[in-house]
Amino acid sequence: MQAPILSVEKLGVRYGAVEAVRGIDLAVGQGEIVALLGANGAGKSSTLNAIVGLAPSTGQISFEGAPISGIATEALVRKGLTLTPEGRRIFGSLTVEENLTLGGIPLGKAQEKRRENLERMFALFPILAERRGQIAGTLSGGQQQMLAIARSLMMSPRLLLLDEPSLGLAPRIVDTIFEQVAELRASGITILLVEQNVAMSLEVADRAYVMASGEIVAQGTAEELSSSHLVEQAYLGHA
Amino acid sequence: MDFFLQQTINAVSLGGTYALLALGLAIIFSIMGMINFAHGELMTTTGYALMFAGLAGLPFVIAAPLAVAVAIGTAMLMERIAFRPVRKGSPATMLVTSFAVAVILQTLFQNLIATRSQPVILPDALAQSVAIGDLTIGVNQILSITITVIILVALNWFLKRTTLGIAMRAAAEDFSVARLMGVRANAVISGAFAISGALAGAAGVLWVAQRASVDPLMGFVPVLKAFIASILGGLGSLTGAVAGGFALGFIEIFLTAYLPEDWQPFKEALALGIVILLLLVRPNGLIPAFNIGREKV
Amino acid sequence: MRKTSLGLLAATALAAAGIATGASAQDVLKIGAASAQTGGLAPYDGPAMEGFKMAVDEINAAGGIGGKYMIELEIIDIRSDAAQTAIAAQELLDGGINVLITPSDADPSFAAAALATEAQVPAFSPGASSPTLPLMGGDYMFANFPGDNVQATVSASWAIEQGFKNAYILYSPDTQYTTLPLYFSDVFAALGGTVAGQGTYVIGQQDFSAEITKIKALDPPVDVVMTAAYEPDFPAFVRQLRAAGITAQVIGSDGIDSPTTFSLGDAAEGVVFTTAGHPTPGSDLEAFFAKFEEVYGRPADTIFAAVGYDLMKVIEAGVLAADSVEGAAIRDAVAELEDVKGVTSAITYKGTTGMPVRQVTLIRVKDGERELVGQPSPDPALVPAPRMQ
Repeated sequence: MQAPILSVEKLGVRYGAVEAVRGIDLAVGQGEIVALLGANGAGKSSTLNAIVGLAPSTGQISFEGAPISGIATEALVRKGLTLTPEGRRIFGSLTVEENLTLGGIPLGKAQEKRRENLERMFALFPILAERRGQIAGTLSGGQQQMLAIARSLMMSPRLLLLDEPSLGLAPRIVDTIFEQVAELRASGITILLVEQNVAMSLEVADRAYVMASGEIVAQGTAEELSSSHLVEQAYLGHA
Repeated sequence: MDFFLQQTINAVSLGGTYALLALGLAIIFSIMGMINFAHGELMTTTGYALMFAGLAGLPFVIAAPLAVAVAIGTAMLMERIAFRPVRKGSPATMLVTSFAVAVILQTLFQNLIATRSQPVILPDALAQSVAIGDLTIGVNQILSITITVIILVALNWFLKRTTLGIAMRAAAEDFSVARLMGVRANAVISGAFAISGALAGAAGVLWVAQRASVDPLMGFVPVLKAFIASILGGLGSLTGAVAGGFALGFIEIFLTAYLPEDWQPFKEALALGIVILLLLVRPNGLIPAFNIGREKV
Repeated sequence: MRKTSLGLLAATALAAAGIATGASAQDVLKIGAASAQTGGLAPYDGPAMEGFKMAVDEINAAGGIGGKYMIELEIIDIRSDAAQTAIAAQELLDGGINVLITPSDADPSFAAAALATEAQVPAFSPGASSPTLPLMGGDYMFANFPGDNVQATVSASWAIEQGFKNAYILYSPDTQYTTLPLYFSDVFAALGGTVAGQGTYVIGQQDFSAEITKIKALDPPVDVVMTAAYEPDFPAFVRQLRAAGITAQVIGSDGIDSPTTFSLGDAAEGVVFTTAGHPTPGSDLEAFFAKFEEVYGRPADTIFAAVGYDLMKVIEAGVLAADSVEGAAIRDAVAELEDVKGVTSAITYKGTTGMPVRQVTLIRVKDGERELVGQPSPDPALVPAPRMQ
């Protein structure tokens, strides 16, 4: 693993009486795709939300060597990391292009860069170019997921947190989405991927962590985890 | 037929003012999930600004924009001082805060200016009218319709064509994700208050131009109408607020126009009855907000 | 609670003072005012209590009523709210007042009237003009202003004398006072005029375009429009009426006796309304206004200050006649008062049910100033009976 672009130490997330994440450590190296696996309710999404400041957390989080705990989400994204949230959460009443425009806000006044990124997104996801004027809420699930990813990429992040991109999509569409994730890595973006689809995730990821009940119960390279029973055990709850 | 046309013009003029008011409430509600009951006091502030500007001898064409600017400033101050500290509070906390702000402002007006109504000097032209065929259209009504149209067009342009406008629409739909886009909560909320202040200011100028006086409690009736209009249109929906405002204007005018004399004393109750009937048919309002029930800031 | 303990303290202090001077507690007339110092009625109650206090101070400075009864005044602000009026009245009555002052409007006054009657303490409203107030408010409730039915008789008679034949009335069912045009309608019709139509509005209404379009559509056109609307409704109505090109005579009532009416420019020019008095040169009212300005350092811009002053003069006359501060005795004395000399008018309660007989003044707005049209005495036979609602 190279020098970590993201490192998380003793991260805890608590919602009232519920302790969603119990002091986990994890690191993501520059240029890696790291998968964070686990069953529903294991604390994966809470971990991602805590990293981008959308969930209250304890512990240390560093991005590119600098601590980022306590920094507001809107300021964090300007530093170069962002989250594509679970369930896509595109702005359904806005057009496709308006959604993408919003994604470019962290670039500030760099209009040229914003235009360039918009063209890049349209090249990456041609369907979005076709539908640029369409109200995003009327897109299909797969198209909405592409839009959600493209919207995150508009700000040229160096680290992308991707939460359950395959959720609720038809298998054929899931394949396409994972292909596109694999392509992203080629463009030099580091990705922390949260998924329930273990097999597909381990195919694209370099390494993976397995979470259960708010703790990390296993970690290793994708090959190690694919060939062991650790992941299954985590899912079945006897890790 | 002329009677009908004349009443239609009356309804458009009144509905337009209601639309501006409802829009001011809706824009804050859509982003913060809060009904700002101090919206009426922004109108009162506008009225006092017009009054003082008049006393200082400023002509109306200067006094009116100045008064709107005062309303914008007051709205932004209101947000900064009163609402920002409770932004993360429960909806009930924010609602009570807005009531408190309204009462505090009313008390300030009473103690610092006067409890009794103060005359506002207006150009005589505002009390005149233009005859078009058999129709008589008040200058006031022309002003009201023109300002409403200009503001609706400008607001539409702002919300569709500027990044801040798009960001505000996004924030209204899903504030957390908007923050993920780097949208600054303070900028968006402050911007929303500025716009709502401008809308209250414009409506305030039109309101005062009609009544030629301002008193500390002036804001109560308009904020009530705005509240009814925005519920009717669909709470938090901007298009809905405009539709609700015009619908309320039409209901009120046409009840007065066509209800038999014996029924006239009940027209206000009947108007509310019609609003309730419409809501029974369309519980979320005429044009519901896109993100009904989603959590706000 | 704090108020009660203060009251107790004051009572103790008074008792101590009584022992020290050898005077009895009977020597103090305690007046409690549940008065709208803020809110919608403040434009009327504010000046009314200022005038009232002037009279209190003058009488006390002269050694009390008849040199015998010093006056103590406590005012509680009821914020123009009927429920607050009842609470304040109860608090004052519990504090042992001899006379209660209620707000300048019939509706909140009703809330206090029953309490006053039960406690056998006479109650007076400075500005309420609805004749139903003393009728329904009980034996202890008195009004102090020319009654709505009397005002309407004066203005309707005047309209007929001017040759107007075709009237439109605009009233609001929201309060007793705003239904005054219905009395006008009765008298106008009784005198041979035609009431071509009647419209209603809601207090606080801004847009009268629908009503005005209806007035305009009347054929033959009306030559007089009567309303008891007051601020902010009246200025809005009259401006829109004139803007629509309707030139009919507009008649109003005492609620528009306010500076705004005189600042409306062309729109209000020629409006005629009834009120409680007019400071003709050399009159007591003129002298009162001069004194008011001296005391408060600003002009009293409404007749209500003088009305408040006169109310204290009525109470003074009642206490003098009763030679007692006991509530029932004052009530009985006031009910028999005749021609009490006030600054606005002579005031008589004898033979009435609590609504005073007094002069009505007709004022015309001319060049933004008051012009006296007349101070006619209405024909008692024409005055309509109070409308019970």
